[in-house]
Amino acid sequence: MTTQAWLLVAGAAVATAGIVVSVVPRGLRPGLSLQALGVALIGVAGGLVVLGGGGVGSEFRNGLGPTVGIDPLSGFFVAAIAIVSTPALIYARGYLSTSKNARAIAAISGVFVLALVGVVIARDAVTFLMMWELMSVAPAVAILLASRSSESSRAVLVYLGSTHLAGVGVWLSMLTLAHLGALTDPHALAAQPVLVRSLLALAALVGFGTKAGLMPLHSWLPRAHPAAPGHVSAVMSGMMIKVALYGLVRMLFFWLAPLPEWVAPVLLGAAALSCVAGVLYALMQHELKRLLAFHSVENVGIIALGLAAALLASAAGQRPLAAIAFAAAMLHTLNHALFKSLLFLCAGSFQKQVGKLDLDRLGGLLRTMPLTGTAFLAGSMAIAGIPPFNGFASEWLTLQALVQLALHGRATDTAMGALAAASLAATAALAVFCFVKVVGLVLLGTHRQKAVATSHEAPASMTGPVIFLAALCLGIGVAPGVVLGPIGHLSPYGPLPASLVGVSLAVPGSGTFAPLALAAVIVVCTAALQLARRQAGTTAPGPMWICGQVPDSRLAWTSAGFTKSLRLVLAVVLRPRRTVSIELDGVLVHSVVHESEVPHLFDEVLFRPALGRVLAASRVLRRTQSGSLRAYLTYLLVTLAVVLAAVRLELS
Amino acid sequence: MAPLLPGLIQTIKARLQGRRGTSPLQPYRELRRLWRKRSVAPQDTTFVYRVAPSVSAAALVGALLVVPVGASAIGWFGSDMLVLVGLLALARFATAAAAWDPGGGFSLMGAGRDLMFSVFAEPLLLLALVLVAAGARSTDLTQMVAAANDAHVASLPAHWCAALAFGLIVLVETGRQPIDNPDTHLELTMVHEGPLLEYAGRDLAMLQWTAAARHWLVLMLAAGLFVPLPQSAPWNMLGLAAAVAALCALVAVIESSLAKMRILRVPALLGAGVATCMIGLASWIAQGAA
Repeated sequence: MTTQAWLLVAGAAVATAGIVVSVVPRGLRPGLSLQALGVALIGVAGGLVVLGGGGVGSEFRNGLGPTVGIDPLSGFFVAAIAIVSTPALIYARGYLSTSKNARAIAAISGVFVLALVGVVIARDAVTFLMMWELMSVAPAVAILLASRSSESSRAVLVYLGSTHLAGVGVWLSMLTLAHLGALTDPHALAAQPVLVRSLLALAALVGFGTKAGLMPLHSWLPRAHPAAPGHVSAVMSGMMIKVALYGLVRMLFFWLAPLPEWVAPVLLGAAALSCVAGVLYALMQHELKRLLAFHSVENVGIIALGLAAALLASAAGQRPLAAIAFAAAMLHTLNHALFKSLLFLCAGSFQKQVGKLDLDRLGGLLRTMPLTGTAFLAGSMAIAGIPPFNGFASEWLTLQALVQLALHGRATDTAMGALAAASLAATAALAVFCFVKVVGLVLLGTHRQKAVATSHEAPASMTGPVIFLAALCLGIGVAPGVVLGPIGHLSPYGPLPASLVGVSLAVPGSGTFAPLALAAVIVVCTAALQLARRQAGTTAPGPMWICGQVPDSRLAWTSAGFTKSLRLVLAVVLRPRRTVSIELDGVLVHSVVHESEVPHLFDEVLFRPALGRVLAASRVLRRTQSGSLRAYLTYLLVTLAVVLAAVRLELS
Repeated sequence: MAPLLPGLIQTIKARLQGRRGTSPLQPYRELRRLWRKRSVAPQDTTFVYRVAPSVSAAALVGALLVVPVGASAIGWFGSDMLVLVGLLALARFATAAAAWDPGGGFSLMGAGRDLMFSVFAEPLLLLALVLVAAGARSTDLTQMVAAANDAHVASLPAHWCAALAFGLIVLVETGRQPIDNPDTHLELTMVHEGPLLEYAGRDLAMLQWTAAARHWLVLMLAAGLFVPLPQSAPWNMLGLAAAVAALCALVAVIESSLAKMRILRVPALLGAGVATCMIGLASWIAQGAA
């Protein structure tokens, strides 16, 4: 066996041992450590495969026997899962120490991570689907173990419902592909009519798209992610939705060939919608974890923009550009996994200290929790796409891919590329807006409730992982070429141009982006100006100017206040609701109650009517479930007769 | 060099309005005065508030290194147009986040409005640059500037639509009327000035230099991208200086002749810019197909 195979087997064994250990009494911390170690070993195996160490295990098979294996694409996702999950599992050592059901949650976390790895390394349809279902169910169990409130039960119901919807598409497409032999042979589908390929592509888009949280199929995501325990939401948002994207990539880029022409434009449209609407709704949220969940929708949109650009470029015969767009999508996959898990882990630390994560009731956490707060600041700048962090590097590459598609593609590509690039620019600006708000309300200013004032820094097991992730965000942002080198080999379109893997990045037809030189300039200038500032002498403290009033925390700006101008401008689209009721005491104003909310129109307009229909239909179906044994025996008999008749007809 | 431009605009504006006005060098004197002063800062602020002026000034230094002056550019830092967008976002993030630290209402109002404008201005900037890049077949700013001299590119309708849209960008980024009023210090109406309200001394000097550098950046880009200039070394610089001075005069004329818009109307104006870009895009596609 090769080193990679040994590492994979050893990692799986250690992680499984960790799961078992974490269930026994007093086994929580050693169990989680073992899990983290095992996952790290698996990740090293994946990393070695990406770096050219040769694949592990078998190729894909159309049969039903369980097989596993790692090729470079799987290896990349395995490595990404490990980079996110290892810190998350170490973090759980501190995070779960005071939770109820801690040992059960710890065990489920390990099962969840192994299921993610399982989906990615599965090499036949049955293993893939089994792991897929396990991956879907595990977080639901974790949510229920952590909290039995009616809110989280509801979130779990919606999540499981959507997962089943996604499951239909995934099962249909996977089993049909295996049946047609398309998992091994890229030309197997060429003989099939366009209708069959279109239906397969639709099933894949709906199935994997729902799980990935692409709009308009994202409804479960902002409910389920906030309800999970901190480290589980980090892995869910960081990697689970990426594993769905892995399925989509396998389908669209490797198995479904030739791809029907409508797929790429539809994917591009859904991606652009996810970006803009995802971040817009994120901006209007008042709860930190829900806001972060909407940002996952946005970032999945950015990744899908890159994927759609790759499909369009390859359809236009521009394979080098397609390779660049694909690499952009993969780089953003990794980057989002890093900064989103970082943000969710920090949110978990804040929640441990403060309780609820209502944005308007936090403030000043940078002062009481300096390490976690600084890491959160770094993550916020990364997700807002601000240089020199990693989010900017991948957004730059995605934008370049779209702009180059506009400049060099066919006429329709020009229009789509330019519009998608403009929507990505709007997304970036909205993300900056949103994270200025988040940073301001969570970290800066004075505290807005007592719990914040008495909060203190999290233990080292919780700060270490977030600092590690923040350092990675900065590192990839300063030297994205280092990561783009190995990523370049993953696409089916051949290698990346050499100009993308050095210290400075450039794609053909673009200027140079020199992340290292720019970061150096920014750091040196900032340091010099700070020195100059110090030399000016001491800074005298003074009160803040608010027209001579005494500062009062009740007058502090809120999340809704900061975004009001945008909400007013976009009122046509967002349809905000606002009620102001004034209680008069004679002629004196006794109290004013102001309520406002931005309803989630996708839920209200799209899903509620659909849900109503489904419920009505299931009420009809419920009549068949009488609960009487005789009825069920009859059903069995009828089914058996039908199956036998079908087999008979097939044979004759 | 940067503070010369706002000074020049102020001088021309004063002359247009029949006042004698200050010398174009006035911003330098103000910077010198602020640099000598000791600083006052609100209590209970974190390091974010303290480093924000330095970070936004540093981001603008980076941006100035990326933007070519006329035909010449510094190769080390690259010259890609999308990098420029990122650096401007860094400066905006730093000042807006710092507004949250003392938490004053006026700073936050200004920061919120500034970010709201950017939501519409950033796609507009990108579309305008894409249209210019379409003519130049590259997103490299030096090549885009070189292409402005090409008679064929200058005759494209897309190029002219981009020029109109970029004019709006100049007004937004420099905070000029009708988008924002740089002269007012009435708290309720300020946008760009708002987040600067609490700063004093060297911090304020850095932020004022940042605002001036933003003038330099967009005017230099406008002159480079849309004004054909002679290529030979001394004439190129002279032509550029003349073009930038002419643009300053144009901004002053616009400022003097228009009143400030209602803030909620600004996105509609920027939306009109986006529509212009769409027309340019359509024309470019049509020409490409023909």
